[in-house]
Amino acid sequence: MTTRPARQRVFVANRGEIALRVVEACDRLGFETVLGVSSADRDTLAARRAGRVVVLGGPHAIGSYLSIPAVLHAAVATGCTAVHPGYGFLAERPDFARECAAHGLTFVGPSPEALTTLGDKLKARELAESLGVPVSAGGYASTVAEAAGLAARVGYPVLIKAAHGGGGRGMKLVTSDAELAEAWAPASAEAEAAFGDGTVFLERYVTDAKHVEVQILGDRHGNRIHLGERECSVQYRYQKLVEEAPCAALPEATRERLHDSALRIARALDYVGLGTVEFLYDLHRDELNFLEVNPRIQVEHPVTEAVTGVDLVREQLLAALGEPLSVRQEEVRITGHAIEARITAQDPHQRLRPSPGTVKRWRPPVGGGLRFDSHVYEGYEFPPFYDALMGKLVAWSHDRAAAATRLDDALAGFEIGGVTTSRDLLRSIIRHGDFRIGSVTTHWLNDRFGELIGDGNE
Amino acid sequence: MDFDLEELAAIIELLDKADFRHFSFEKGDLRITVSRDGNVPQQPRAATPAAPAQAAPSQRVVADQAPDDDEVVITAPLLGTFYRSPKPGEPPYVEIGDKVAPDTVLCIVEVMKLMNSVPAGVSGEVTKIFAADGELVEYGSPLFAIRTIA
Repeated sequence: MTTRPARQRVFVANRGEIALRVVEACDRLGFETVLGVSSADRDTLAARRAGRVVVLGGPHAIGSYLSIPAVLHAAVATGCTAVHPGYGFLAERPDFARECAAHGLTFVGPSPEALTTLGDKLKARELAESLGVPVSAGGYASTVAEAAGLAARVGYPVLIKAAHGGGGRGMKLVTSDAELAEAWAPASAEAEAAFGDGTVFLERYVTDAKHVEVQILGDRHGNRIHLGERECSVQYRYQKLVEEAPCAALPEATRERLHDSALRIARALDYVGLGTVEFLYDLHRDELNFLEVNPRIQVEHPVTEAVTGVDLVREQLLAALGEPLSVRQEEVRITGHAIEARITAQDPHQRLRPSPGTVKRWRPPVGGGLRFDSHVYEGYEFPPFYDALMGKLVAWSHDRAAAATRLDDALAGFEIGGVTTSRDLLRSIIRHGDFRIGSVTTHWLNDRFGELIGDGNE
Repeated sequence: MDFDLEELAAIIELLDKADFRHFSFEKGDLRITVSRDGNVPQQPRAATPAAPAQAAPSQRVVADQAPDDDEVVITAPLLGTFYRSPKPGEPPYVEIGDKVAPDTVLCIVEVMKLMNSVPAGVSGEVTKIFAADGELVEYGSPLFAIRTIA
């Protein structure tokens, strides 16, 4: 059944909670691990748990986690057989995936070709369109005049998007011809500066939409399945704060169309490993619009694990090494409901400004139906160099209301000291009537932010 | 403790070719210490990076003394393979006892075929060499100690 060598040594090219998640998945598979860290991350939990730790470079990611030569050299020199890139950093870089292959390392992710197609949001959109997957009205324009003509056809407001952006980066919302004319050239210049490619395109902006996404998983034997959808509408400046599975607001027919659309994309790309196909769901029109595909493990993957019982990182590692998937589509069952809250070192009263520092008290809640993924411990110096995620608290229960109550109770019992966190904001969100009835859309948190932090002036 | 004899044989073969004085190897509860000059080496002290709690197959060759107060430790500016000479077979850039100026090249750290020369940065005399030729050095690993000239 298996062609993989008996011994695997996985280089973990990431940090924080996801590095720990990967190290633990490898431990359970009997794989050795080598963790590459920056000099600021020698004391994380992942560094304590990994089989071996090598310091890649200085605190700034550019010389450590983003340095392809340092990561490759370290992985080869420590005798690794595979590289797990986690999320962010090098996870979506086709050049990195190619270099791994060239040095005999299995890249735990999709093919470089799939990464190239998906990294170009315009190409990904065209692929979706060609497969009959619904996309927002819009398209590519090379001049302002063309863009204005296109905007007139789809109707304002429209989003100007960078082809090589994604995850909310490189987007501009415009509501009139004048704004479009003003924003067009700078948007292209910014895209060029930020992503090395000035290509931008237009899409109709869906005002009242939920963010829904489908978890896909493929192997090297032509098996491709979906593991249901997640909803991540609670966002602040495109940053997700609360995620859940499944999405309670979807009519059954729409849900089927959603899953089918995601699988078409997976099939077209001969997709290997984990991916997330993101959509906006227009509540009023009951309409789905393809957004993008994230070709990697996602921060919010635990909610899918909670309702399906499938260990996604294990499947991802084994699929990359050539094993067939351990689950068939007809075996995937969604049981109950799971909600995740991202606890971050960010100050809600300072518009979620990062608030690094020493974690003086850290007592995560424990209890039935709870899961907590985190690399933080009491006494940990939360560094200022990286993203603000401290941990992900996931509550599962038989239905959505019970899961929300369980998560709220768990957050209430979470003792954190020394660092200002998003914990209380997360509680206000989960207790809010709009969240409880499931009417939250992607701009809800921006609109209600002042109310949620108890500040009448906002 | 299951220990792979093939692995041990491979290590011994590597050691035979390597220029070293002390070698210690730890895996789980197994620990092998090899010394060429008859002394049992001390654990690396202050100047070396903290060893991971549970070391997987790894090797570390270091000078057996910590730097003195008048010594400056030159550390690796990036992760890579440490080379003491410009090319295989050529004499090393520096030996213990050599006088160096700030721009004197001490070694090369090779990262994916890119050779990065490491200058001394200070004036003084090379007193210790911490890394072995051909060894993987991490960012911040101690490479040399130099007794500075006031």
